[in-house]
Amino acid sequence: MSEHELVSLTIEGVDVSVPKGTLLIEAAKQAGVVVPHYCYHPGLPVAGVCRMCLVEVEKTPKLQIACATPVAPGMVVRVMSPPALEARKGVLEFLLINHPLDCPICDQAGECELQDYVFQEGRARTRYGSFAKRFNPVEDFGGDVLYVPNRCILCTRCVRFMDHVADDSILNVSERGDRALIGIHGDRALDHPWAGNVVDLCPVGSLISKDFLHKARAWELDRTASVCTGCSQGCNVTLDTRQSAVVRARPRPNPDVNRYFMCDYGRGQYRWMNGGDRIEAPLLAERDGLVATDWDHALARAAQLIKGAAGRTVVLASARASTEALFLARRLAGGSSVTGAFRVEYVPGEAPLSGVPNLALRSERAPNATGARVLGYTEAFDAAVRTASEAGLVLVLDEPLHGVPANTLAGAGMVIYLGTVLPEAARVARVVLPIANVAEEDGTFVNRDRRAQRYFQAKATPGMARPAWWVLGELLAELGRGGPFATAAEAFDLLSREDPSFAGLSYATLGTQGVGLPAARPPVVVPA
Amino acid sequence: MAIGVKVVRRPDSVSYLRATLKGMTLTFGHLFRRKVTMQYPEEKSEPGWSLSPRWRGTHRMLTDEQGRAKCVACGLCPQICPANCIKLVPGEDEDGHRYPLIYEIDEFRCVFCGYCQEVCPEEAIHVGVHYENAEYDRGRFVYDLERLCAQTHPVSSLWDPADPRGE
Repeated sequence: MSEHELVSLTIEGVDVSVPKGTLLIEAAKQAGVVVPHYCYHPGLPVAGVCRMCLVEVEKTPKLQIACATPVAPGMVVRVMSPPALEARKGVLEFLLINHPLDCPICDQAGECELQDYVFQEGRARTRYGSFAKRFNPVEDFGGDVLYVPNRCILCTRCVRFMDHVADDSILNVSERGDRALIGIHGDRALDHPWAGNVVDLCPVGSLISKDFLHKARAWELDRTASVCTGCSQGCNVTLDTRQSAVVRARPRPNPDVNRYFMCDYGRGQYRWMNGGDRIEAPLLAERDGLVATDWDHALARAAQLIKGAAGRTVVLASARASTEALFLARRLAGGSSVTGAFRVEYVPGEAPLSGVPNLALRSERAPNATGARVLGYTEAFDAAVRTASEAGLVLVLDEPLHGVPANTLAGAGMVIYLGTVLPEAARVARVVLPIANVAEEDGTFVNRDRRAQRYFQAKATPGMARPAWWVLGELLAELGRGGPFATAAEAFDLLSREDPSFAGLSYATLGTQGVGLPAARPPVVVPA
Repeated sequence: MAIGVKVVRRPDSVSYLRATLKGMTLTFGHLFRRKVTMQYPEEKSEPGWSLSPRWRGTHRMLTDEQGRAKCVACGLCPQICPANCIKLVPGEDEDGHRYPLIYEIDEFRCVFCGYCQEVCPEEAIHVGVHYENAEYDRGRFVYDLERLCAQTHPVSSLWDPADPRGE
């Protein structure tokens, strides 16, 4: 009952109704007002230490902190009234007494809340110019994290994250008064598998990533919604790209999957997306080996080979391929005598984030293994490779063929290889078609909880490489079995029409947060 | 005939001698006037013909006491540059100080707007009061950090909105 009980109040002259128990700061968001804040974070317990979110509440003697005040019926709240502004001005002045103002060399500049609010407030001079600033040297917290104490505003988000979310209390506030700073357990490093989140949580440039240090400025980055490729959890991420190179991945809030967090392993996954060892043009097998050609010739040759194929067809797919590509590859292989297989690296042991239910770095280290299973691929990869060596047609979809001896596929009737890189075992292919990786195309992954989630193109494809859905769509069109597709959305529409697991879904319904697939096929109800 | 066209009849015969003499008088008359030509490059900037302190010429990077560039590679100048002529790659030295690994200005592309100087929080990069930039090679117009630091010409004072007349 309490969940549905609404409370009406007025914030900045806007009437809002929010569930009982909502904090003022969240209610203000519904009224379209962002109350300036540092210590409050929706993913962390409330501390109320920064005093930045002071607002005026009618009939209370003093200003209230919006982050710790629950709503009450008939409340009248003023966020931008003169007393509230004056109070926040005072808080900012205190925060800046010891702040080094080194924005030109600070990695946070451009996405720093202290910078934003100080700029908003507009005070250009300090009243403490004649006093020396407190100085503490930069500390290496271990892991990927550097601590710059001078920039710290002691919001304690990092401390609360380690205490309550990661459940590994190794940070605290050491010292007191104006000497206070974030301290770390003497014998420990900040090497918890999820510790990298403190860098994102830090509203200023105090906790910074060693990996990202001096790499790019915030305003140079293009941000793209994507999905982490590290494991089958499918954390929503934002890929930050600069000049067509991914420079970092950050968590993208999704209350149903990863809330506000992602693990350090996932953070490092952006590196392979920038690999330079890519196939940049379609290749055809000629007398003197593989020769580069254009798309028209390559697609025509591939379609001709598929038409003429006899016997078994084997699809060796990667669990990193998009759901669309997996579906289209299977459709292209057609017929009933098709073996579709993929393989996944399993790393024993999960690394859960204890404060968030059902969130962990999973041992299944591929983003779309569930999608492959839903589409009828099996994990009998080795058996499929053995079958492939005698099959009529072998279609390889972005599978790097690690550990597959170079001549294994030589016995197959013909091999068509769609991939980003060209391994030795794929050199027997009759046609090699270069495709885009996850950062270079639109697509969907299905995570371990059967949630279909979209990812978006973050950078340009190298050379002539095209998205796999486009390549497979063109081939299907040559064979008259659907396609071609102008967009990934069209490819997904075909998938949703053909496969009942995806029935009724489209890119519009998936949005940026994803939708769960029905747990199983709905039972057929026969009317009595 | 079109409206508004006036037809001037040419005289049948004309002597150009008088007009020529008149012209020559003016020409040779200049021999006896004060010379306005400056013997550049032997002579430069005589009084009343010096460059304005607000002149925006080729760049100069100022250095600190140790001779290092004052630049901290904050990235504001490549961001503000309307001609996209500044290339900057940040790095970190042994003491953990941020500094430019690569700092290059393509003076051919530069439009000499002076925004880089205006935006610089460290007062490191400046446009210079300088105009003699001839080179034998086009590539030499991409000034690297060493060259920018080695420049010695005075730097521009830019235009100050609070003091529009420079007084």
